[in-house]
Amino acid sequence: MSVLVYTQNWDGRFKKSSFELVSYGSKVAEMLNTSLVCLSIGAVGDEELRKLGNYGAEKIVRVDNEYCKILDNQVYTDVIAQVALKEDARVIIISNNSEGKAVAPRLSVRLKAGMASGVSKLPLSLNPFTVYKRTYSGNAFAHMVINTEIKIITLSQNSFDLVETPNRAAIENSNITVDSSLIKTVVKDSQKQTGKLLLTDAEIVVSGGRGMKSPDNWGPLVELAGALGAATACSRPVSDEGWRSHEEHTGQTGKVIAPNLYIAIGISGATQHLAGVSSSKYIVAVNTDKDAPIFEVAQYGIVGDALKVLPKLVEAVKELKK
Amino acid sequence: MIRQVVFALALLVTLGVFAFTVRRLAGFFRLTRPGFPVRQIGKRFGVMLKVAFGQTKIFRRPLIGLAHALVFWGFCIILFGSIEMVIDGLAGTDKSLSFLGGFYRFLMGSGDIFAYIVAIAIIIFLVRRIFLHIRRFEGIEMKRISHIDAIIALSLILLLMISLAGMNTGYAGGKILSGEPVKGAYPVSTWLAGLIANKSPESMHTLYEVCWWTHILTIFVFANVLPYSKHFHVFLSVPNVFLSRLEPLGKLTNMDNITREVRLMMNPDTAFAAAPSDVPVERFGVKDAEDVVWKTYFDSLSCTQCGRCTSVCPANITGKKLSPRKVMMDLRARMKEKGPLMTRNGKDYSDNKSLLRDYISEEELWACTTCNACATECPININHPSLIVDMRRYLVMEEASAPGELKTVFSNIENNGAPWQYSSEDRMLWARDLNFSVPLISDYAARGTTPEYLFWVGCAGAFDDRYKKVVRAFVKVLNHLKINYAVLGSEETCTGDPARRAGNEMLFQMQALQVIEVFKSYGVKKIITTCPHCFNIFKNEYPDLGGSYEVVNYLQFLNRYAEEGRLSINAGSLKGKTVTYHDPCYLGRANEIYDEPRALLNRLTGGFTEMERHGSFALCCGAGGAQMFKEAEKGEKEVFIERTEEALRAGAEVIASACPFCMTMLTDGIKYKNREDNVRNLDMAELIAQSLEL
Amino acid sequence: MKILVCISNVPDTTTKVKFVDSDTRLDTAGIQWVINPWDELSLTRALELKDDASAGVKSVTVAHVGPATSEPTIRKALAIGADDAFRVNAVPADSYFVAAQLAAVIRKEQFDIIMCGIESSDYNGSMTGGMIAEFLGIPSVSAVSDIKIENGSPVLTREIDGGREIISVPIPFVAIVQKGIAKEPRIASMRGIMTARTKPVRLYEPEAAEPLTGILVFEKPSPRAACKFIDPENAGLLITLLQNEAKVI
Repeated sequence: MSVLVYTQNWDGRFKKSSFELVSYGSKVAEMLNTSLVCLSIGAVGDEELRKLGNYGAEKIVRVDNEYCKILDNQVYTDVIAQVALKEDARVIIISNNSEGKAVAPRLSVRLKAGMASGVSKLPLSLNPFTVYKRTYSGNAFAHMVINTEIKIITLSQNSFDLVETPNRAAIENSNITVDSSLIKTVVKDSQKQTGKLLLTDAEIVVSGGRGMKSPDNWGPLVELAGALGAATACSRPVSDEGWRSHEEHTGQTGKVIAPNLYIAIGISGATQHLAGVSSSKYIVAVNTDKDAPIFEVAQYGIVGDALKVLPKLVEAVKELKK
Repeated sequence: MIRQVVFALALLVTLGVFAFTVRRLAGFFRLTRPGFPVRQIGKRFGVMLKVAFGQTKIFRRPLIGLAHALVFWGFCIILFGSIEMVIDGLAGTDKSLSFLGGFYRFLMGSGDIFAYIVAIAIIIFLVRRIFLHIRRFEGIEMKRISHIDAIIALSLILLLMISLAGMNTGYAGGKILSGEPVKGAYPVSTWLAGLIANKSPESMHTLYEVCWWTHILTIFVFANVLPYSKHFHVFLSVPNVFLSRLEPLGKLTNMDNITREVRLMMNPDTAFAAAPSDVPVERFGVKDAEDVVWKTYFDSLSCTQCGRCTSVCPANITGKKLSPRKVMMDLRARMKEKGPLMTRNGKDYSDNKSLLRDYISEEELWACTTCNACATECPININHPSLIVDMRRYLVMEEASAPGELKTVFSNIENNGAPWQYSSEDRMLWARDLNFSVPLISDYAARGTTPEYLFWVGCAGAFDDRYKKVVRAFVKVLNHLKINYAVLGSEETCTGDPARRAGNEMLFQMQALQVIEVFKSYGVKKIITTCPHCFNIFKNEYPDLGGSYEVVNYLQFLNRYAEEGRLSINAGSLKGKTVTYHDPCYLGRANEIYDEPRALLNRLTGGFTEMERHGSFALCCGAGGAQMFKEAEKGEKEVFIERTEEALRAGAEVIASACPFCMTMLTDGIKYKNREDNVRNLDMAELIAQSLEL
Repeated sequence: MKILVCISNVPDTTTKVKFVDSDTRLDTAGIQWVINPWDELSLTRALELKDDASAGVKSVTVAHVGPATSEPTIRKALAIGADDAFRVNAVPADSYFVAAQLAAVIRKEQFDIIMCGIESSDYNGSMTGGMIAEFLGIPSVSAVSDIKIENGSPVLTREIDGGREIISVPIPFVAIVQKGIAKEPRIASMRGIMTARTKPVRLYEPEAAEPLTGILVFEKPSPRAACKFIDPENAGLLITLLQNEAKVI
């Protein structure tokens, strides 16, 4: 038996989330006293694949042929299922990202394997196999029991720390094939986004309000966003005044966003604005008014002048990213 | 003899054409909806005397209003002379009404004076129109034809006055010359006759005859031109005032066909039973000309395009597309277009056009703040907001179409009972940090009693961070006065006001019936509220749905106590500061409550400064009519900035407000103008609590 | 073309979730039930396609697995504009169970496009759509932000990391849609509400199927801590905390 982790690649490269999955899988394998197998689909070089070994992958199965070039849910499900059966996987771990959401449920029915999505901790118990998953949009968590022999877990992004291990990875090129009648998805066009990060997609958002005093002061804010890889946003008065584009307006009558981190600079936190950002995982506020309503919903706050604080934050982020 | 025959023929032709016009219009009226029963005749006469004959609304612009009033009064007096001319024309008599003696002399005399006054006024109007650039005569709805129409009408009136003056001059001059008795009195014309050199009885008589025929024929022509011109208001204005809406402007009419449906839905037994087959075929709201109630069409015919309504519309002032005048003109124009087609081809005829979108755009409709400035300003009491809301009702209820943010508001009210997304469980958080506990009505009920008053907190009081402070201040005052009151706490739900103003009649009624049920279960009789929107809806609209209570606005309530000496307010911290008061539309124009807030503010300040536009002239803050919850329509400026600037022009250091929406708008406005350091917006409740040092 | 929109019945988003019976189940007292927001958008798009004569959509059906108490939510969907509905009379035990039930009915009633919201606001499972497709052995496309019908064929826009793809799959298929599929949810018109009462809701008894998972107990997250204030002079500390404590950067 084994624990199988499916690691998605992006143009042949892995991301931090891939390594989180492997670290997690490695721990689960440890708990089950078994080995960790990683599956990669698509064209990924050996050197990149070996990186998975740094986080605990012992065997890395590479499946790479013509029908893996685009994501066809049935095809990918079939591949993962075949590998899972071949490797006698008991627990299959996939990321809870869009590809994971596309494939894991099909796999669940295919293997008659109970599935828990949005898991953020290691299994709470093995017998019964219980995992900790997010419910009610983060307002509650459930201890979910998976009653089948094979279990599928999709892991929430950014919920498990990387754990480095000595690298013992061995790469195996798989020769499984997929029935061609299964391939049904036709890609007519593909638009890769360049440059600007979409506000509604961004995981980190840096937002400015009237407390910034003037559009000329936006430089440091944009710099902070750039350093964090964040999108920029603003409150309504700012977009009304024309200081920032209408596209950046978040709030009840603007965009409603729910990033992992929302940094509100010079924003008081009026009801209408909060209505647009209150689902953010973390809210940080910088404001000169200690009674500003934003501090009631923020986890971290700085009572101070945005113009003085921003440069310090930019510096700290740059240090971090080094 | 010939004279009589010619006259009779002329009269016949005139009446014939007029009858045709009346028949045509009657046909159009038959296409409209019934509704608007005409009752309270006595009260209506009173309104007519005041507004029509007293010209009170016209005098809202005093100087030019006087000119118009003089023209109107002139017309009324001269009417008697015209009636006499018809009698004379038919009977071949001469000044047949002169048997009335002294009264006749008075009629003719004043008629004569007015002929010249009106002529001067008309010349002033013409000069104004042609040479001065008067803003309210312009607008996208004011096409060239409107200007020509106005010039023609004014010119005809001038001709009438000149011919009347000529008549009187010729008559008086001729009679005096020939030594015959003058029937009636013609002070100015007599004097004018005296100025004419080289006159003879014959030339005077000719002058009289020519002017007599000119005058009466002009009247005949004018009378038939009027119904097709913007000056139809000459005939219709007085009746339109008689037919005025008598309810407070803040009240919107109930849609009874919706009430039936809502009651069905609220009863779990009928909720999913097969619907009775009487799903009304009649359209909800107004899409096209035939959907309006007859009175609204009457309004549109009476409109003389003066533009006073548009000139006070906060949306129009700030550059949005909405013009109340255009709305009325468009209705009239559309009926003119479609009426004949429907009369000929049947009521179901469609020309693939509609009042909505082909004439009045959605953008215009959604720009309205329902501030009622237009209805207040209209000299003949046309009610524009009801048509605008009726068209919103069509959009929302038939097409499920509304700006996205308002759809969200509807969903929120439906799902969590407030325009914003908050749980009703949080409705008492505002009362957390007080050093006394705010009594809950459920506690009273548990003890088997009811409080004297229900203090209705409202959604803003529960969820708006700034306004929570106002509600806290108010209960401190209630506590101080030892008032026997309680609140509903988490059992409160939205009154439905934003839904109704936005046209979602169904959601409003659902909310209202729910609230009424809760009130009933607790035996609520008296309600105090700080929010004017809640106040307006409880007082004016809930009775239509079976909920009648004694509703009092907090300022009325506190003023009563102050007058009775039970609430001693003193100037204190406001002394020396320039304070101004912003009239909330839903307290002011909607319910005519202007004095009590001012009485209280005078006690608080020892004298405050009025903004230029105050009282019934006050400029809306821009948040009403569901604007609070949506993006403003495209315009040049935001309404709230316009109002804040006005307050700052008055030199205000404190802007006193009395509404949660106004407070949001004014506070934002102060921030925008970067005056937070020296200007504050405080609610009256906060000012009073402050003065009591609570 | 026949479109099926699967909807689930969830507590309104402002609900303060509480648990009873030793935290094993949701306290349903006083809860306002609504159509899952993602499903509402899904339904809106389906109706937009139906309104477009060139798209050739014959009907929009709504599907739900739930007890009779879900009826009002189904009627709401009908009021918004769906033509008819079916309900499998069973408590939705888990996504696998729900998907199995829906698949069974879909085999009987046959649809061309099956639309499912990518998640529901109660269990945030993101599973049912994909599971239905696998039960039926038909293609599925996830993270769909747009569906158009061009020349009688559906064309989907799928969001992928760093961009989007325009793809097509043969009917029948399952589209798992996310926010963006419609600009804003449609609301019910008055006539919609009035006619909703008479639209057909077919009732099915559940097939035998075992859920594969169960919930032992619920847990509330630790209460939101008061805002942690950082000295403006030491602003850099914020970044450190965001990385190490909050783990968001």
